[in-house]
Amino acid sequence: MADKVLVIGGGISGITAAVEAAEAGLETVIVEKNPYLGGRVSQLYKYFPKLCPPYCGLEINFRRIKQNPKISYFTLAEVESISGSEGDFTAQVRVNPRYVNEKCTNCGECAAACPAQRADDYNYGMKSTTAIYLPHDLAFPMRYVLDKSACGSGCQACADACAYGAIDLNMEPKTMEIKASSIVMATGWNPYDASRIENLGFGVIPNVITNVMMERLAAPNGPTKGRILRPSDGKEVKKIAFAQCAGSRDENNLPYCSAICCMASLKQATYLRDADAESTAEIFYIDLRAPGKYEDFLRRLQEDENVALTKGKVAKIEEDAATGDPVVTVEDVLGGGKIRKQFDLVVLAAGMEPAAKGVKMPMAVSFEGNGFVDGDGLAAGISVCGVARRPDDVSTSVQDATSAALACLQTSARALETAGGN
Amino acid sequence: MADESVENKEESTGAPEAAPEENAPAAETGSTAAVATAEAEGAEAAAEAEGTVAEEAAEPAVAPAKMIQPDIGFVREVIGAGGTDLKKCFQCATCSVVCNITPDDHPFPRKEMIWAQWGLKEKLVADPDIWLCHQCNDCTAQCPRDAKPGRVMQAVAKMSIPSLSKPGFLAKGIGNPSMIAIMTALPLIIVGLAVGLLGSFNPQRGEGEHAGQIVYGQFLGHWPIVDVFSTFFVLSIIIFLLGIRNYWVMMKKHASEEGSPVSGSGMAQVGPVIGEIAAHKRFGKCDETKDRKVSHLFILYAFVLLFLATVTSTIYTDFPLLWGGHGTESPYPTLSLVKLFGYSGAIAAVIGIGLITINRFKHQAKVGLGSYFDWQLIVMIIVLMLTGIGSAAFRLANIGVLAYPTYFIHLSTVMFLFIYAPFSKMAHMVYRATAMAFARTAGRDTPM
Repeated sequence: MADKVLVIGGGISGITAAVEAAEAGLETVIVEKNPYLGGRVSQLYKYFPKLCPPYCGLEINFRRIKQNPKISYFTLAEVESISGSEGDFTAQVRVNPRYVNEKCTNCGECAAACPAQRADDYNYGMKSTTAIYLPHDLAFPMRYVLDKSACGSGCQACADACAYGAIDLNMEPKTMEIKASSIVMATGWNPYDASRIENLGFGVIPNVITNVMMERLAAPNGPTKGRILRPSDGKEVKKIAFAQCAGSRDENNLPYCSAICCMASLKQATYLRDADAESTAEIFYIDLRAPGKYEDFLRRLQEDENVALTKGKVAKIEEDAATGDPVVTVEDVLGGGKIRKQFDLVVLAAGMEPAAKGVKMPMAVSFEGNGFVDGDGLAAGISVCGVARRPDDVSTSVQDATSAALACLQTSARALETAGGN
Repeated sequence: MADESVENKEESTGAPEAAPEENAPAAETGSTAAVATAEAEGAEAAAEAEGTVAEEAAEPAVAPAKMIQPDIGFVREVIGAGGTDLKKCFQCATCSVVCNITPDDHPFPRKEMIWAQWGLKEKLVADPDIWLCHQCNDCTAQCPRDAKPGRVMQAVAKMSIPSLSKPGFLAKGIGNPSMIAIMTALPLIIVGLAVGLLGSFNPQRGEGEHAGQIVYGQFLGHWPIVDVFSTFFVLSIIIFLLGIRNYWVMMKKHASEEGSPVSGSGMAQVGPVIGEIAAHKRFGKCDETKDRKVSHLFILYAFVLLFLATVTSTIYTDFPLLWGGHGTESPYPTLSLVKLFGYSGAIAAVIGIGLITINRFKHQAKVGLGSYFDWQLIVMIIVLMLTGIGSAAFRLANIGVLAYPTYFIHLSTVMFLFIYAPFSKMAHMVYRATAMAFARTAGRDTPM
């Protein structure tokens, strides 16, 4: 039987593991829950280490997938169960209906005709889309998808509008079986639900947003076309605050450090500063974690006199009734006083929660205390990479995925050895 | 001493890692070993606290090397006294933000947490904020590290008492659970001696209108009670007055060292502070344990009423002309002022201590049950109430075999509270008021 790698999750880690393994000669198949590949990285405006748009890196990876006949992928798909052992796994995969087939040309007539709206989860609910929608500008596969839960009953406006016969409202979910010799778990992460942080007003004060929302606000394909406008009144943001460790390193929320939030806030401060010379940013921190080469970036921000770095955790956010401005309360530890400051917008540097946490797994998986997958506790032939394993930035996750691909190659080598021995 | 720019940055280093480990060599030799830290500003604070002179650097451009002299034993004591999770603190300052009672200027309890971690005892003992804290425990409930700053504040406050109320060994004894037997024996012996020498363990029943009834005056008469109890009461007041003076001098010195000297005696603040206490405004600002305001007010006014009962009993007995009655010994008429004060005080105390106990359990999950220090006072007040009510009930029921022992325990409990007032948790009423007056004098009062 062919050496096949099953990669669960089509974000940057899963894509990397799949591409690396395939380019080393193994058949790979990616199973992704979303209607597109690229995961959380596709939602970023810029990413580390080069501050370039992630679309750039993703595009390269998508090309590698398209050019490589050894890679196949399923979107809207979930692994339901896995049986067998190293060298001989069998996975049951459920593929949910997209209601749009490969004839789709992305002309957009269906969306123009669609009367129904749905919250746009890709933009963290900051805008809505029609029930039939293109997930985002560089969606891969580049094809519309229908969220049938948002449709009016009996409505077939999109199917009627489609000139190519690409819409099939009667599509049914399918279950299929995939045989694999090794498995890579790259199930990634979800942003921590900031409304669970009791004292920071998220979900109550409109102008308190999270860092992932800030990425969408700054992104040219985001809800504000890349202009940083605040949610309550669309006012242009001139004065922004970042509250570090919002729910992270916190026994009442996420006890661990999410590893990326310091750099994310420093990066996001540049979004505003680069767009507007008059703007000011203030980052409230317990301690700033800019490891290794990232320290240069921290220094760049420290030199910007419109960026203030204030030691002290934001532990209270209230709303100024007249202006809608969030007011943060902080102990300025170095300055020696408790201060209250008003901003146009406050960004909570909220952490990452492993997506696999609390989810029924298709096979035996052991988790460490915080819900990340414990790689040492996995059966032979199964490896884990990226944020499923531990909170990390993109470049580290990519390296991690490469090592997962290596583990797959080792499985393959062991199988060959056994075959040779017979 | 040091230049302003350094002064302003005093508590810049939050690194708990810089706190000396308990097993470090310094622990073996007590506090003589100095721990040098690379954190110049933080060490600045430490050096100031210890009153040590920082070495001046040869080059003015280079920050002078700083030494801190941590009192390792003190750190251990704080942990032992209820600040069990002190070392978990990583100085995020959530506590100072969520505290509704702290002044904005150099707020607590974040700074106290690092002083305690670093074993800077001198700094803490002279800090008004350890008593300004009202133990709302909003900080403890919201601490992201579960370091329980409220409990650390209380442990530190408790440990400051030996430096304030003299002799300090009484404070150490009353704060030490293993000493409770000895500490309890003292008031029992005093009251026992008083009854044995000045009263009778085999008292006669009453005569005349109280014929055949229990008359506690026969057990221990009015004057012996006044003499013995007043002596210890006055002694405690003297200890308190000296303690207030000690604390005030220490706070002034501390404030000068911190670069914000305070002048004034604080006498002008006595009235406003009493007014504030009477209304319990600060308790009302607690979020997590808001209900403490009512329970604590009940206890406060219970003690005021019971004090008035004591005072009026003296007036009844010794100054009959003032109330136009006949000079009389107890038992007093049921509708007399003594009884009205006494009964209403008892009812208020039962409600207050009941609520306090219920609240403790209600808040157990988020802020903990409390320390030995808390429960010692709660239990003593419960005993005081039960024996006080029991004494009255058994007297009215005329059951001598129960009435006299109950009354004896009651008197001993009162004696316990009197002699240990400056050393036990009772001391908070005086030192907290002193800290409030100091904060007002320093102009760093909390906006109400």
